[in-house]
Amino acid sequence: MRHVEHVMGTAVSIELADPLPDADLTTMIGDVCAWLHEVDQRFSTYRPDSEVNRFARRELALADCSPDLRHVLDACADLWRATDGYFDAYAAGPLDPSGYVKGWSVEVASQRLAAAGSTRHYISAGGDIRMRGHNADDRPWRVGIRHPWEADKLSWVLTLTDAAVATSGVYERGGHVRNPRTGAVAQGLRSVTVVGPDLALADAYATAALAMGEAGLTWLPKLEADGYESAAVTDDGRAYTSNGLPAAV
Amino acid sequence: MRRSTAAAVGTLTGAALIVGVRLSVSAPDVTAAPPAVDLAGKGGAADSSPSKKPTKKPADSEESEDEAGDSGLQDGTFRGAGAKNPYGTIQVSIKVTGGKIVAADASYPTTNDSATINPPAVAKLKEATLEAQSADVDAVSGATFTSESYVKSLQAALDQAGG
Repeated sequence: MRHVEHVMGTAVSIELADPLPDADLTTMIGDVCAWLHEVDQRFSTYRPDSEVNRFARRELALADCSPDLRHVLDACADLWRATDGYFDAYAAGPLDPSGYVKGWSVEVASQRLAAAGSTRHYISAGGDIRMRGHNADDRPWRVGIRHPWEADKLSWVLTLTDAAVATSGVYERGGHVRNPRTGAVAQGLRSVTVVGPDLALADAYATAALAMGEAGLTWLPKLEADGYESAAVTDDGRAYTSNGLPAAV
Repeated sequence: MRRSTAAAVGTLTGAALIVGVRLSVSAPDVTAAPPAVDLAGKGGAADSSPSKKPTKKPADSEESEDEAGDSGLQDGTFRGAGAKNPYGTIQVSIKVTGGKIVAADASYPTTNDSATINPPAVAKLKEATLEAQSADVDAVSGATFTSESYVKSLQAALDQAGG
């Protein structure tokens, strides 16, 4: 069963491949969508009354924040350290943890699906994907990575079962990623894809590498030790992959 | 010149300390820099009481300079015994002119065993061919599109085809 939900400023595509009654699948999809809308209410920086904004305005003390928000704040701090400052929830000035929240919310949604009995599904939030098990054909999921210049073509095809894939690029919302150290629009890399166990981390790593520019090409391989593979394309069209990237032949 | 000599002595002292520690070369008094190297047993250690300290204060520099003249060091180039360690052999050499150490150097392995101390650099990404292919896939990963630009995406086409 497939479903598309417009939430968090993007389109979230959900596919459940479990051989379960439609009624059960529909309920599961409904739960996922309710959770994503809840996240949007609580964590969107576009909503003045969101928990994130109330905390940013100091109307809410850290001790009074929800466990979810405290987790998000901790994770953003950890990622700031892990990425040498290139993943920065304060890059634009006021607190904006959106770069972590989207991947994390999908990660949690997938965990909830698994807890409810779905072992075969994927959730794609605007192109950042968390998947489990096999597809409807009983094969590993096949995930294409969009070609960074030709919107209707793919530059790689990955075969995955339990994994997350996140891509950051400058072609969709041009120049929205900035180097937090200089404030300048990131240059050097056109597209970075990170594959690994956790979508929130994969997404943050991809964003950080894009912000680094070409230096990201020497930073990305360090993630392999933690189980994160990568693929990147430079502004001038050079393509790079890590050795363990699960690309289909 | 004085400065460079001091630098040479300092370098030699450092090397001598390393060699001394590694090999337990007879170095009862490691503050006496030149003798500690025991230059190939060539009598360089005849004078066991040079007061020249590697950490000399600026005020002492003049005095040290004077002492260098009668330090008892023979002119010539001397090599220390090779110090073997798990990564290869390191050998220190000094050049003495007019009783002063005017140059110090150390040879170290750059091949074979030394490779273990300098293992291949961290993994690198490999350059790959940027393809532009059409393939049957379940989902597409790409830079995050907005709710509006979704309709033009490959993912939207997949969602429609999948019903």
